[in-house]
Amino acid sequence: MQITNENIIVAEDLTISYDLHRERKKLIALQDINLEIKKGEFVVLVGPSGCGKTSFINAVSGLIPKSGGSVKVRGEEVTAPGPDRAMVFQDYALLPWRTVESNIRLPYELQNLGISEEEKKQRVKNCLELVDLAGFEKSFPYELSGGMKQRVGIARALATNPDILLADEPFAAIDAMTREAMQAEMERIVSETGQTCVFITHSIDEAILLGDRVVVISYRPGKIKEIVNIDFPRPRMNNSEVKISKTYAELRDHIWNLVKDEAMQTTRGE
Amino acid sequence: MAKATEQIQYETDDPNRIQDVGWTFKEVWRRTRGFVVTSVNLIIFFILWEIVTTYGNINSLFLPKASAMFQELWIGMTTRAPEGAVFSGSILDHFLHSFKNLMTGLAIAMAIGIPGGLLMGGNKYVESILSPYVWALASLPRIALVPLFILFLGFTTTMQVTIIVISAVFPIVINAWAGVKTTEKSLLAAAKVFGANRVQLYYKVVLPYTLPFIISGIQQGIGRGLIGVVIAELFGGSNGLGYLIQRSADTFNTAMTFAVLLLLIVMSLSLINFTRWLEAKVAPWRNVNHL
Ligand SMILES: Nc1ncnc2c1ncn2[C@@H]1O[C@H](COP(=O)(O)OP(=O)(O)O)[C@@H](O)[C@H]1O
Ligand SMILES: [Mg+2]
Repeated sequence: MQITNENIIVAEDLTISYDLHRERKKLIALQDINLEIKKGEFVVLVGPSGCGKTSFINAVSGLIPKSGGSVKVRGEEVTAPGPDRAMVFQDYALLPWRTVESNIRLPYELQNLGISEEEKKQRVKNCLELVDLAGFEKSFPYELSGGMKQRVGIARALATNPDILLADEPFAAIDAMTREAMQAEMERIVSETGQTCVFITHSIDEAILLGDRVVVISYRPGKIKEIVNIDFPRPRMNNSEVKISKTYAELRDHIWNLVKDEAMQTTRGE
Repeated sequence: MAKATEQIQYETDDPNRIQDVGWTFKEVWRRTRGFVVTSVNLIIFFILWEIVTTYGNINSLFLPKASAMFQELWIGMTTRAPEGAVFSGSILDHFLHSFKNLMTGLAIAMAIGIPGGLLMGGNKYVESILSPYVWALASLPRIALVPLFILFLGFTTTMQVTIIVISAVFPIVINAWAGVKTTEKSLLAAAKVFGANRVQLYYKVVLPYTLPFIISGIQQGIGRGLIGVVIAELFGGSNGLGYLIQRSADTFNTAMTFAVLLLLIVMSLSLINFTRWLEAKVAPWRNVNHL
């Protein structure tokens, strides 16, 4: 799947703030974000914690209101969640009383996607195979490992066949080996389906391996510090050339320096 | 991980991963040991009791023989009062009266407590209006209200049931309320992202999440309700296990008193274990051993 020239997500002067009622103050989490994301693009957000990455994708998903500027999906202002946008959560957010299959079917129960029961069944089956969980349909989340739970989370997001996949540190709580396998999975799925992906991570390697662009966000208030283009051909995950190339090392260094300055500010105290 | 990563092969669904353990001696013991240990423990307890009361110099007015207690219980539970009798010496009659009151009281307490607690958790106006009353009444020792209810309702079954309701309703309200309040935010976010409207948010996420809280509220309600039963009958009434305790003690029939106490213990434990079982049934994820 190629990146098209069509903008699918456009943020203009997007500002997000939170009321701190106790202190009668307002915290500006993100300020004047201008970002255009093209259809089919894989955009990774990095930045120190608390810089507003989650706030950004929550605004795109429609979970939180914006306090200034605009964020548009396919030209339309985002006001509420919609079936064109799906999300993968850091803590999986699976309903513990539902089986794997029933969790994946949740989006079908909540909204009318206009697809037949037959098609739903087929899609659930495909999604389960895509994340390699066939045979675990009847298991409950508490019976699965962290990596497996997150694969259910991914399958649930894919079940609606969304145009946009929002992922908030999806692999943060997963061990290094499983994580690598899941990154490969993610790259494959997103490029096969042609989805647009906005992905948050703390890992610079993950950012370079997955992203077409890496957006570095600065700390307090969150602003875009720099956007780094990554031009490695895909698939990158099982291409050992990528990680040992000079460009990779340079990119890594560059992004690390950008993030480091910010991270230092965080640790120096707020 | 079929296509992308051939080299990482754990977490696959090898059919040999789940093996049949079968009925080994160890497995049978693991399942029954709780029951066996408790039974042996109780048998020893009652035998010691019997020995002490038979050979020790103990006034049977204070501590009857265990065998006398069991005999009293057996006779009491297998006979009914004759038609038209004013007072029944049958434990079964009084037990049925108390049990029926308890169940009626619990049912009313649930009918008020569950929706009440859910509303308080779900709507901040309802919450701020009701919470002072809930806390005030919940913190008041319920026994202090008994004379008032007797004044209002007389020595009637209605009075007894009212006291049971008042005793049992608050743990149910408070648990349901807390359940709604503590519903995990990320589950709500997930449901919203995947299209839940307000109503769906409630019955797809909040309610199932709160169900085990409600059950443990009912469990506490049973304990409080039983206290309510006995208190209501001790204070005023001519029926029920509380009354029977009073009456048998007054007539120096200590064996009967102990028989009724034992029955109360058995009834309470049975009900509480039933709710525990129910809780494990509806919320198996909460009972996973994480160690
Ligand atoms: N619900 C909220 N109420 C108040 N402040 C919040 C809330 N959510 C996030 N924040 C604040 O906004 C800032 C950005 O948060 P977030 O978007 O979660 O950052 P990130 O995901 O980059 O770690 C943080 O300083 C955080 O404390
Ligand atoms: Mg975050």
